[in-house]
Amino acid sequence: MHVDYWAHLKQSNAGRAGLILVCLLVGVAVLAPVLSPWNPGAYTGAIFSPPGREHWLGTNDVGQDVWAQLLFGARTSLAVGCGAALLATLLSALIGGTAGLLGGLYDRFWMRAVDALLVIPPVIPAILVGAYLRPSLAVTVALLAAILWPGEARVVRAQILSLKERAPVAAARTFGAGWGHILVRHLIPELGPVLVAVFVQGVRRAVFLEAGLSFLGIGDPAVVSWGRMMQHALRFTYLDVWKWWLLPPGLALSLTLGAFALLGFALETVFHPRLRR
Amino acid sequence: MLRDRPFATYVLAVFVILSLNFILPRLMPGDPLLAIYGEEALLAMSPELKEELVRRFSLDRPLSAQFLAYLAALFRGDLGHSYYFNAPVSRVLLGFLPWTLLLTGLALCLCAALGVVLGIESGARRGRPQDAVLLSAALFLGGFPDFFAGTLLLLFFGVTLGVAPLAGALTPYAGKAGLSLVLDVLHHLTLPLLTLVVVRVGPFYLLTRNTMVTTLGEAFILTARAKGCPDRTVRYRHAGRHSLLPVVTAAGLQYAHLITGALFVEMVFSYPGMGTLLYRALLTRDYPLIQGILLTAALAVLTVNFLLELVYVKVDPRVVRAR
Amino acid sequence: MRRFRCVSAGRFLFVTGTLLLALFALAGCQARKGADGGGAVYTVADPTGDWGFPSPFAHYPRGPGYIRMHFLFDTLVWKDEKGFVPALAESWQYLKDENAYVFRLRKDVTWHDGRKFTARDVVFTVDYLQKNRYQWTDVSIVTRAEAPDDYTVKLVLARPHAPFMNNFAATVPIIPEHVWQGVTQPEQFTDKRAAIGTGPFKFVDYNKEQGTYLYEANPNYYGGRPKVAQLRFVKINAEVVPAALRQKQVNAAQVPPEVVGDLEKEGFTVIKGAHDWVAKLMINHTRPPLDNPDFRRALAHAVDRQALVDTCLRGHGLPGGAGLLAPDNPWYNPQAELYPYDPATTAEILTGLGYVKKGQYFEKDGRVLELELLVSGEGVGVPGSPREREAEMIRSQLEKAGIKVNLRGLEAKTLDQRVGEWKFDLALSGHGGIGGDPEILNRVILGQSFLSARYDRSGELNELLKRQLSAMDPGERKGIVARIQEVYAREMPALPLYHPTWYWTHDGKVNLFYTYQGVGTGVPIPLNKLAFVR
Repeated sequence: MHVDYWAHLKQSNAGRAGLILVCLLVGVAVLAPVLSPWNPGAYTGAIFSPPGREHWLGTNDVGQDVWAQLLFGARTSLAVGCGAALLATLLSALIGGTAGLLGGLYDRFWMRAVDALLVIPPVIPAILVGAYLRPSLAVTVALLAAILWPGEARVVRAQILSLKERAPVAAARTFGAGWGHILVRHLIPELGPVLVAVFVQGVRRAVFLEAGLSFLGIGDPAVVSWGRMMQHALRFTYLDVWKWWLLPPGLALSLTLGAFALLGFALETVFHPRLRR
Repeated sequence: MLRDRPFATYVLAVFVILSLNFILPRLMPGDPLLAIYGEEALLAMSPELKEELVRRFSLDRPLSAQFLAYLAALFRGDLGHSYYFNAPVSRVLLGFLPWTLLLTGLALCLCAALGVVLGIESGARRGRPQDAVLLSAALFLGGFPDFFAGTLLLLFFGVTLGVAPLAGALTPYAGKAGLSLVLDVLHHLTLPLLTLVVVRVGPFYLLTRNTMVTTLGEAFILTARAKGCPDRTVRYRHAGRHSLLPVVTAAGLQYAHLITGALFVEMVFSYPGMGTLLYRALLTRDYPLIQGILLTAALAVLTVNFLLELVYVKVDPRVVRAR
Repeated sequence: MRRFRCVSAGRFLFVTGTLLLALFALAGCQARKGADGGGAVYTVADPTGDWGFPSPFAHYPRGPGYIRMHFLFDTLVWKDEKGFVPALAESWQYLKDENAYVFRLRKDVTWHDGRKFTARDVVFTVDYLQKNRYQWTDVSIVTRAEAPDDYTVKLVLARPHAPFMNNFAATVPIIPEHVWQGVTQPEQFTDKRAAIGTGPFKFVDYNKEQGTYLYEANPNYYGGRPKVAQLRFVKINAEVVPAALRQKQVNAAQVPPEVVGDLEKEGFTVIKGAHDWVAKLMINHTRPPLDNPDFRRALAHAVDRQALVDTCLRGHGLPGGAGLLAPDNPWYNPQAELYPYDPATTAEILTGLGYVKKGQYFEKDGRVLELELLVSGEGVGVPGSPREREAEMIRSQLEKAGIKVNLRGLEAKTLDQRVGEWKFDLALSGHGGIGGDPEILNRVILGQSFLSARYDRSGELNELLKRQLSAMDPGERKGIVARIQEVYAREMPALPLYHPTWYWTHDGKVNLFYTYQGVGTGVPIPLNKLAFVR
């Protein structure tokens, strides 16, 4: 398939909107120090100050600038979300895909392993990793990917099972095409939308799980992330502060995940030439 | 899988899960004594009391002996005795399980039904305004973490408007019975349920829509249309059914954390459930209770998996051929 | 036919959805009608809810569990806001020669099931506790319990024990012999009969899942009929408790400090707690360089405790008394305050210890002075316990003083375990009880719990701690306790950071108060049964 993904992505409205939003977010994350007059960890002395000229989004419970935290939080949340989702998607495509293709004992082994892994609530590996490994961004990404992949692998496998039996694949097999050919020519393109959906879901869950980790207190407390901001803000919902402290990271998160979903939406068109208009 | 000894693989899976359930909690640093009695500085922890507790919790026996004892007890249907709650694990579980099933089970059903219908309708109207509106709404709401959405709902309906309860699953000791009790429970259920549906319907919807979009281009749909099948029939009977497979899988996935996955929603609404129970059990390193909860969750998943395999066949008969 | 079925799928869902919505709306209207529970019910809210079955043995080993139990069971002696008051015992006397206490019991006391209370029950309780171990106090201090007649009890002590009145007489709940005889596993005895006491309230219901308790007034209570017909404990998150108070769903609850001003303006009564909780910077005094007292002193000078209170607690607390006890504690000794915030002194001491400041940090033998600070998550703990915020601030203060600090977040129990096994440099921790009997000092200096400093390297401190327990003369004891604080501050095995201020708010129906030295051994919750009967 010779498709210029990029050109098609640019053609669709959703693709453009998603691209612009993602670029904007990445730009904001990269340029955080330039865009914010404050350091996210600095104690400004003004506690719970509402939004104003001094602090565009007000300050939090210890007098840190919420705007600065929002910008710097974008870095962590984007890195953790994308990193973990990418890693998990790769893993799930590899394991779910091969399990679906090869079938037999191999398939059964992985599916039962997935069952076993799925029922372990994420808190337990999180506590174990937090206890025995020194927390860093890489460890967090790896942990989240490890939590995410089993579920995704099952979705991929189910899709492969269904694809395997469809007409084009069956036809190719009758013509004596090797599995490699079928994989590259038929399965991977057909798998596209599912992988994209899986990735978008992965980003979502990774970001949420990261917030959960901060609830348990695992990680480096000095690293600002949107999840961490929300967890802190949740303790003060009896005051008005949630309007400028809880809402911005929540909406930013929703915007980010929305942007990724838009991209996924646009890519789906690219992967399906038949549906292109 | 249905044909060649499925039972054996499931038995193996259960054994693996049992072993993991036993080992993982014990790998966590800290022990029940420290977690339950260590936190309160006022307690007089004399060496005798400590010794007695160690004996009572069988912490002095080697791990292998504890594991065998656990398996043997399990075989008799005895889940053990919760250290923290001072009660049989089965009694504790039975107290919390109904509330969890009520909340998350209902949420799962609503999500799946709503997601599939919206997904089919949206996929069929691909690119048109209704689709765009639904899609943006799903994308926007899907980005809300459950605790965030729950807190906003609670603040608005509970605190500001005062029309929803602030906490709990029922009005305690209000002397309600019969219909008024049912209504009271539903009233308390509304916001947590709404939260779960709002944040969880997205994946079902998107997945159905994605598959729907793929499916609608397939030859058999064209055939159906060519035959003159009405639009609705094509949508639900032909394409919709075809899109169900991934949705069924996704539903199964959600079920994996159905038992313990509503932790944050339970916390926001002070709703009783297995999520908070597991959290409490982990904090107090209540091994028997952790094992009991994990076992319940595992059995639920395995059962659902088994049922899913059956449903696959129903939904997509080709699956049988694939094995 | 087939077509019909699939057309109806969408419609069916639509109809079901609408029906469900309507049902929920109806439920809302119905439930609101019956929301008001009537005036005679007194409701107390708590974010955890479930504290166990309220018998002396089955409630969870935490302060709020004891509180729920104490409404049902009485002790020999009780406390109000000023000090000891009679309870089951009308009067008591210490016999110095025999080292025994004699209690004269009331004759008008009955158990909730109507049986008469006598000295036999007290003797039975003491014997029973000896066999079954009571968590809240070390009962082995009483060697013998005798009942010379039906309304006199004599308790003979193993040795002079100053905390006896607070930690035994005013803590140990007396249980009925006719219920408990033959019960071999008291912690599993959760029959309704296990809640039969002599207290002002009778047990009606306890619900583990919902975290609720219901008690009804005991009209025959010897101390007077309770002012409310029913007492109810419910589970409500701290964040929505202010709303619950305003919506009149709750009569009393602990509230977050920031809303106290508003609630007071709206007519609620606010009671400010004694500072019974201390946040501590745990120091690993078993490994270098922290094993050097001078180094620990340098550390203490580098932490600005006032700034912690001002910023992290938003002013709702007191800087930690260097001798562990809070500045408003009756046993407090101001002479123990040896560590004003002064990074210059830190630098001076460190230089004296051979450290050289290069750039931002001190170094010794080419290695940067670097410490790891452990902190646990937001999820658990009492309001005001030190978490990420405090850790970040302490780090910035220590870094300003030239000490490099690495933060590490751990799940709460993992942290406790590491502290317990001395696998840390610095850690944030804390505990309650310092408002109780000064015996708590022994528990948190010499005790073996991870909450304790576990510091026995000062012979003087060990001796003083031992002496304060047997000093039966209050004046003498006060002097010893004062000296303990000075020596503790000098040795500095763990740095007290601050004491958070806790606020309770109530609607004035019952005049709640904080108990002298806390309820029981020292539970800092202003729910004292006396408030409900007088």
